[in-house]
Amino acid sequence: MESDDVPSTDPDANAVNAAADTLAAPLFGAAPARVAPATLDTFLTQVERRAFRLAELQLRHREDAMDAVQDAMLRLVKHYRDKPAAEWPPLFWGILRRRIVDLQRRRKVRSIVVGWLGGGQDRDGEDLPTWEPVDQGQGPLDRLHDAQSWADLTTALRQLPRRQREAFMLRMLEGLDVAETARVMACSEGSVKTHLSRAMRHLRAQLEDWR
Amino acid sequence: MNPPDTRFAQRARELYRAAAHRVDPLTSAQLRAARIRALATPPAGEQWPGTRWLVSGGAFAAVAFAAVMLWQPLMQLTPHSTLAISGTVGNGDADPELPPDADQADPALYQNLDFYGWLAANDRPIGNR
Repeated sequence: MESDDVPSTDPDANAVNAAADTLAAPLFGAAPARVAPATLDTFLTQVERRAFRLAELQLRHREDAMDAVQDAMLRLVKHYRDKPAAEWPPLFWGILRRRIVDLQRRRKVRSIVVGWLGGGQDRDGEDLPTWEPVDQGQGPLDRLHDAQSWADLTTALRQLPRRQREAFMLRMLEGLDVAETARVMACSEGSVKTHLSRAMRHLRAQLEDWR
Repeated sequence: MNPPDTRFAQRARELYRAAAHRVDPLTSAQLRAARIRALATPPAGEQWPGTRWLVSGGAFAAVAFAAVMLWQPLMQLTPHSTLAISGTVGNGDADPELPPDADQADPALYQNLDFYGWLAANDRPIGNR
């Protein structure tokens, strides 16, 4: 079982994280996510679909993912609407992360109870994401290839330990910096670097054909 | 991170954003509705204006109820009713105006029967004597 708070002793970890920071600049220059949103409505509009994808990736269940995102939105608005806009991303992702963990634990307990009762047929988590591509100017083959690549990445990410998966999603996919990721994951910055480094190593091995 | 790793991370992020754009219309509509509902939620510190009056009224009602509950036993323990209560212990439906049942009366009552008789005889206004 992987420790929640792993100190950064891996020499590769700092290199991965430093490069992730340099990667963030050109990518986020084009992406609106890291520009402080003017209103909470704008912020939620920007993140709602990505949040749903991350929740769905981890929960493997559409309705649970929707519940998690909806709850994260509600809590952010209710408790943190007066915070500076720059603080909304780590707060939102932190709320969503806790909600996802809660749902995963609840599901685990439910599956144990169902097993005790002799059912053992809880098939939650077996559904793969549904793909209904809209026209983005790509050809059908490109879209199919992207969808397949995302499905491969999703499968590889689901094989990671939870903390490594969270570190990769928050740092690499969502683009939070190390401090923000540490705050969201409630661990030290060194642990974030270590988790990310291990996640990258695993994913590189799993998705060898991407290189 | 070497260039292949950078490309790997960049590719992952592009796929992530593309997947977010490919969310189906039903899910998009549900997310939009959830956002609108969330934004309509009042802040945690903001309460309904009547809440303060409701709390004050509830507190007053509780205090008044407690006062009434305390006041009633005190009223029953006044000197005029002490005799009737002591004579009807264990007989809750007895009429307090009637003399106590001989079997259930306090034995001490009989020891001072003369005194109570004298007290009853002299318990009238002076002008009526």
